[in-house]
Amino acid sequence: MRIMGVFRKNWREQRRDLLLISLVIIFGPFFVFMYWFLFAGGSFTYGLLILNEDRSVQMGDGSVLAAGEEMVVAMENLTYAAGTPLLKIQPVSDLAQAHNLLRNRDASALMVISSDFSSSLKAQKQKEQPVSSSITFVGDLTNPYYTITAALASAGMEQYIERTTGQKQFIKIIEEPLGTSSMRTEFEIYVPGIFIFSLMVLMFLVAMNVAREVENGTLARMKLTRMTSLDFLVGMSLVQGLVGMGAVLLTFLTALACGFKSEGSLWLAILVCAIACVSVIGLGLVVASFSRTVTHAFIIANFPFAFFAFFSGAVFPVPKIAIFTLFGHTVSLFDAMPSTHAVNALNKIFTMGMGLNEVLYELISLIFLSALYFAVGVFLFKRRHLT
Amino acid sequence: MRESETPPSQGGRAVLRTENLTKRYGDLIAVDGLNLEVFQGEILGFLGPNGAGKTTSLNMMCGLLKPDSGKTYLFGIPVDGKNGEMVSRVGVAPQNTVLWGKLTCMEQLEFLGQMYGLPGKEVRVRGEALLEVMGLSERAHKLASTLSGGMQRRLNLILALVHEPDILFLDEPEAGLDPQSRVLVRDYIKLLAHEHGKTVIFTTHNMDEADRIADRVAIIDHGKLLTLDTSDALKRSVGEGDVLEIDLFGQELETAMRAVRKNVSSVFLTGNTLVMRDRNVIVSLPFIMDVLKSSGLRLGEVRLHENTLEDVFITLTGRRLRE
Repeated sequence: MRIMGVFRKNWREQRRDLLLISLVIIFGPFFVFMYWFLFAGGSFTYGLLILNEDRSVQMGDGSVLAAGEEMVVAMENLTYAAGTPLLKIQPVSDLAQAHNLLRNRDASALMVISSDFSSSLKAQKQKEQPVSSSITFVGDLTNPYYTITAALASAGMEQYIERTTGQKQFIKIIEEPLGTSSMRTEFEIYVPGIFIFSLMVLMFLVAMNVAREVENGTLARMKLTRMTSLDFLVGMSLVQGLVGMGAVLLTFLTALACGFKSEGSLWLAILVCAIACVSVIGLGLVVASFSRTVTHAFIIANFPFAFFAFFSGAVFPVPKIAIFTLFGHTVSLFDAMPSTHAVNALNKIFTMGMGLNEVLYELISLIFLSALYFAVGVFLFKRRHLT
Repeated sequence: MRESETPPSQGGRAVLRTENLTKRYGDLIAVDGLNLEVFQGEILGFLGPNGAGKTTSLNMMCGLLKPDSGKTYLFGIPVDGKNGEMVSRVGVAPQNTVLWGKLTCMEQLEFLGQMYGLPGKEVRVRGEALLEVMGLSERAHKLASTLSGGMQRRLNLILALVHEPDILFLDEPEAGLDPQSRVLVRDYIKLLAHEHGKTVIFTTHNMDEADRIADRVAIIDHGKLLTLDTSDALKRSVGEGDVLEIDLFGQELETAMRAVRKNVSSVFLTGNTLVMRDRNVIVSLPFIMDVLKSSGLRLGEVRLHENTLEDVFITLTGRRLRE
């Protein structure tokens, strides 16, 4: 009887707190939908760049063998059982262009088909003097999609060679890591994401601190003084910014102590984190705008936290859903999140050893988005609690 | 609204004036056309049952809540939007204890002083004085969260005073205080108004508190101002009046009762006790004594129950529970 009493009491309380119960219930389905959306209903197509340097040859019967082109077509025809393509082939004309796309993670791997690929296959098919040729895979070894893409492309290549020559794969395969990616340990690969993850936690602190002022009535007390909205928001943000940077520095020192090595400038990485910090504070203010209590702030903050941490690539890489191209950069759906640019920039700095000029796009995007998020946070908070 | 019989005790210029101040929450009219004038150095008690609109009125008067219609003027300036100079002349102690738990008493005073634009040294001097007055000196550097409930209430009050405002809005200042603290706060409010010329407007449910410190009392119910006058004037003019009971010994009780009725509105006998009820019945006492003596009656115990502010309050607002 008492169990039923406690049950009824809790049930009544829960259904009268609709916002919180809705968030808890929606959380799982929302992320299920997002993953279904990202991975095209379960079949993800990996981006493969192909630099085809192969020259076609004439066969003994007078026909022309363009093995490079044929193999590209064969790769395009690789599909999942449901018919979804395994690889999204993007032909490139030079290495510099390909490297740029790989660095920006607009593609997972580059396959370079050497000039005598057709000659090599012709020699093998017609039992002539062997001609050596090679297929080179280039990629960022810290990108988990590289391994899968290279493996799929390699399997496709083997199938094509066997079908064309009737023999097992005999072409030499070379792997060229992009930048210093081959030097990175598993531990080092995950460190950039952890930086962003640790910064995102700041959102809870901002939202809960500000909601506490609302809940306790101290914000109302401050509003009765000569304090302006700007005084409150800037003063509060500075403290939160310091805490955020403290967290970043401590994370960095811990990583260094654990053997982490950065290929690029540490100061540039810290600058990226500092700018990202502004956007996190803005997000915290947005959360606080919709919260009247600390408990509300904590529960609501979980939603943007999970979204921004997971879909920015901080935890694991997420597929790009391209919308348009800007200054040669593919702008994807999740590029609307500052954390996406922060993760990309940190990956480039830490893993590729890139400098300011090479992360300028990420930096400018980050500055713009951080300012935007902060402005939205300030606007909403002022509207909800300071007027 | 019942018209005031007496002018405000302090006279002087109106520090606060409201004109048809109105606030609605959906269908509920929380404050309905409130017109009020409060004068410099005056203590105004704002009385009303729960949900009568006291706190809403107070919040609109101090600028914390925007009215749906009507205006408040503080020092002749309309309260709409933030006026730095006006803000510095207003102090508010909210109904709930509103403190920063992780700041010490002095840090809270320093912070609020800074928010009012006061120099740090000046705030510290004022802060020390205020803490001393409220018996919190020894706790000056303790976190607010470690103070007892009564201490927190006292700190809540002095946070409204750190910038030396000219007008104070105190929402139930004596709530949660023990008798000693109540006397301390009461005396300090009187000192502020009557010695330092501050204007004090406070809400309360405690009729005794209002009776003891308010120069005038405003009674509000269902958002409407029912009456505004001095406590004495209200007790004389509203309610069933004072009750005088005299034990009598002798034969002519009925005759004496009829004779007394000429001057006293309600007279009846309970056993050998003559019960007389009238507003300000004490004025008729010499006449009553003459009548009783001339009737040959011997007088026993005499008991007087004065009309209280609570009687006035219940007469005006009724006995029905609110909220």
